Amino acid sequence: MNAAISIAGVTPERDLAPVDRVQLGTMVRELAAAQRTFAFAGGGTDLEFGNAPRALDAVIRTTALDRVLDYAPEDQTVTVEGGMRIAALDAVLAEAGQMLPIDVGDRAHATVGGAIATNAFGARRHRYGSIKDLIVGVEIVRPDGTVARGGGKVVKNVAGFDLPKLMVGSLGTLGAIVSATLRVLPIPPATRAIALACAPSHPLYAACLEDRSLDPAAVTWSPGEGVLLVFAGLPAAVDAQLERVAARANDAGVAVRVLEPEAFARAQQRERDLRRRGAWRASIAQPPAAGAAPLTLAAGAEQLAYPTLGVTLVASDDEPFALADVERARASATVVLHAMPGRARASLDAWGPPPPAFPLMRALKAQFDPHGLCNPGRFIGGL
Amino acid sequence: MLDMFARLRWCDGGLTEPSEPRNFTPSERGACGCGDCPGAREWAPRSMIDVPAMTELPARFAAIVGARNTFSAPSDLRTYECDGLLGMRIRPEIVVLPGSTDEVAACVRLAREAGMPIVPRGAGTGLSGGALPVAGGIIIGTSRMTRILAIDLPNRRMRVQPGAINLDLSRALAPSGYYYAPDPSSQSVCTIGGNVAENSGGAHCLKYGFTVNHVVGARLVTSDGAIVDVGAWDGSADALGYDLMGVVVGSEGLLGIVTEIVVRIMRIPEATRTIFATFPSTDEAGAAVSAIISSGIVPAAIEMCDALAIEAIVAATGVDWPLDVGAALLMDVDGLAIEAEHTADAAIALMRDCGAIEIRAPRDAAERALMWKGRKSAFAAMGRISPNYHVQDGVIPRKDIAAVLREIAQLGRDAGLRIANVFHAGDGNLHPLVLYDAAKTGEEARAEAVAGEILRVCLRYGGSVTGEHGVGRDKACYLGEQFSADDLATMQLVRAAFDPLGIFNPDKLFPTPRLCGDVPGRYVAHPLEARDDVGRG
Repeated sequence: MNAAISIAGVTPERDLAPVDRVQLGTMVRELAAAQRTFAFAGGGTDLEFGNAPRALDAVIRTTALDRVLDYAPEDQTVTVEGGMRIAALDAVLAEAGQMLPIDVGDRAHATVGGAIATNAFGARRHRYGSIKDLIVGVEIVRPDGTVARGGGKVVKNVAGFDLPKLMVGSLGTLGAIVSATLRVLPIPPATRAIALACAPSHPLYAACLEDRSLDPAAVTWSPGEGVLLVFAGLPAAVDAQLERVAARANDAGVAVRVLEPEAFARAQQRERDLRRRGAWRASIAQPPAAGAAPLTLAAGAEQLAYPTLGVTLVASDDEPFALADVERARASATVVLHAMPGRARASLDAWGPPPPAFPLMRALKAQFDPHGLCNPGRFIGGL
Repeated sequence: MLDMFARLRWCDGGLTEPSEPRNFTPSERGACGCGDCPGAREWAPRSMIDVPAMTELPARFAAIVGARNTFSAPSDLRTYECDGLLGMRIRPEIVVLPGSTDEVAACVRLAREAGMPIVPRGAGTGLSGGALPVAGGIIIGTSRMTRILAIDLPNRRMRVQPGAINLDLSRALAPSGYYYAPDPSSQSVCTIGGNVAENSGGAHCLKYGFTVNHVVGARLVTSDGAIVDVGAWDGSADALGYDLMGVVVGSEGLLGIVTEIVVRIMRIPEATRTIFATFPSTDEAGAAVSAIISSGIVPAAIEMCDALAIEAIVAATGVDWPLDVGAALLMDVDGLAIEAEHTADAAIALMRDCGAIEIRAPRDAAERALMWKGRKSAFAAMGRISPNYHVQDGVIPRKDIAAVLREIAQLGRDAGLRIANVFHAGDGNLHPLVLYDAAKTGEEARAEAVAGEILRVCLRYGGSVTGEHGVGRDKACYLGEQFSADDLATMQLVRAAFDPLGIFNPDKLFPTPRLCGDVPGRYVAHPLEARDDVGRG
């Protein structure tokens, strides 16, 4: 049996686990016909994300939908069911020397559908883009139970509206992801990281990013590690780039350290932990050139920034910043709470003020879910 | 006035209140939600009684955009009767060329009040009839909104007006060492606004992605004349909420008109290596593409030309490609110098393994440019070897290129027609060119039939009926073969959220029984293209 499940603190009456896509569709259709509210759950690794649903009669778990439907390594595409665990997909892809370059907090449990619904990303977004850049097709169950496809299985396709993009980051408010076709990429033959003991505000950082002989696969910054540049590709090219960065750092008088594999693995684990640990988790996003995030972090808060993306992750067991400052910070940055204790939910919106295009989003939600049955109230602006 | 409305059918799905989007039941909207299905009805605006006579409309539009930017005389409208799909022509009622977002919005409001369907238009180079006018409707063209508004190197963003020419972005960025990646072959004339509408691709999208991967924000004028910013406008990684930008790109002018566009810009790679290789047939060339892709190499571009295409390109451009081969590949690899060298060498080895006859590298930048010019002018070059030709655009899995090309050749033999192939092999995006002579009775019809069958072959292999030219009017009838009624109805939900009345670009993209009785248009070289300085495909 499943452990008791709750979504942003709300426990449903019913905990449903359809065995396949047909049963998933039937359950949604029946719930919709009965005007019951429902939400979808994948691996349950981001159940605190978003606001508390206004009502929740049932949670429908997608984890039995865990098959690879079609994998063509020579086409670098894979079609998988939404409930497949990312680690399980990793294993299938690795046999052909390929990978899905999307970073999540908990690969063993997080599902493909969940990663799409939450627009999960991490350090590798710098080179490979987000799921929006990798998804080419999707099959969904709409909130009324209708099964619909968008996109396709080929990497290039402009037939019809781009429903796959619409599902990315929609947090299950437009329906369930039954399956998705994703581009996958070859695993680079070599990956190594080098740490610069400086902040992104240091001229060395900008110089490295402008240098056309350097092409980092990922860039992070944290107070403990400094700027971490990850290089991936041919071993000779990786080595040449490490040497070049080291030489630039020496010239700039900045301490530099090439990470041993174990140290790099620990750094990656710290990044993942920021997405899965702590009663409080937040992301602060602003234009990359805007500089430091407009929130003063509490002493105990952990943080990691993706300076080329302008995104900082924060995690903490106690309040990571003064909650009174959030509203002001939201004037210049997007501050999203990925997890917070139930007591804070009454006074703190997880998303902040809706963007200017919100009327279109509301209209979209009204088209897909006119009775507000699907994950109601969890998304931005009460959608 | 009333006659005009009587001619129009609106895909409004029976909606009664434009301000309140809602879900339609299947009986209300019909299977595909179009204006011709049972349940749909003809719509006339409530304010119709107050709408001024048709004769006053030009003056009212002129009051918004200026008399010199308003066209209603038949002689002035001729230019706008078609886009790159020259075989299909419809005269619009009025054409306006606004100069600002506010003017676009005012034109949309007036057109809506007057009950006129709106067709947005960029440079009119599209090949699927996306900018084909609607009878009784208005064309809102972006050709006066061509400015580059801002370059933001620190955030790697650029903001432009929709009428800016694709190539002008990279030209403006070049001194800083940056460029805009998507490069449709028509990039020297097509506009960014049109690229947004069509999600335009191009040879180098293999590695760097399509328009949708590079356009991050836009100012959108919606069907009620509102001005809405969608996407990540300020350089942030993502906008909050649904990815409206992602769905607006490639929506073919059905969801609104973009009046400002924010794009990602990229550093010019340190090195680019170009390789030209010839093969005995498309079988070996197709195998080489599969071998390269599946080896893990990500080239910047791999393009294939078959023997007929090579013949046409040589005749048209004077490149010194050999005529006694069955196929050629033109490939770019780029990135760090050390990686480009290695990747090029690895790809060359794979090409040799697959039976390459000859492998060449251009001697200098001029020769490289000539090679790419040869490729990008291939469509127009067909005029050298055939009086008429139909350009097709379909996608297949990359592993099936050789098999599909054999099937296409068989279709041509069965119909007694020659088919040339010049296409984006790395993406599996085929461009078969069905050659025919319209002066010979029955050939044109046979060519249309073969072109249609090619799309069905693509679908049978799990592909798509369009990789980059769009559905538009040309392929609306094939969309129903690629997608189910439920799939299309779901896309109609998106449309209803943006444009409940179906004012923008009606009769495009979605199949309707009436449209699908029509004969698709045939490809004729665009006048600019025939002048030999514009490429295609």
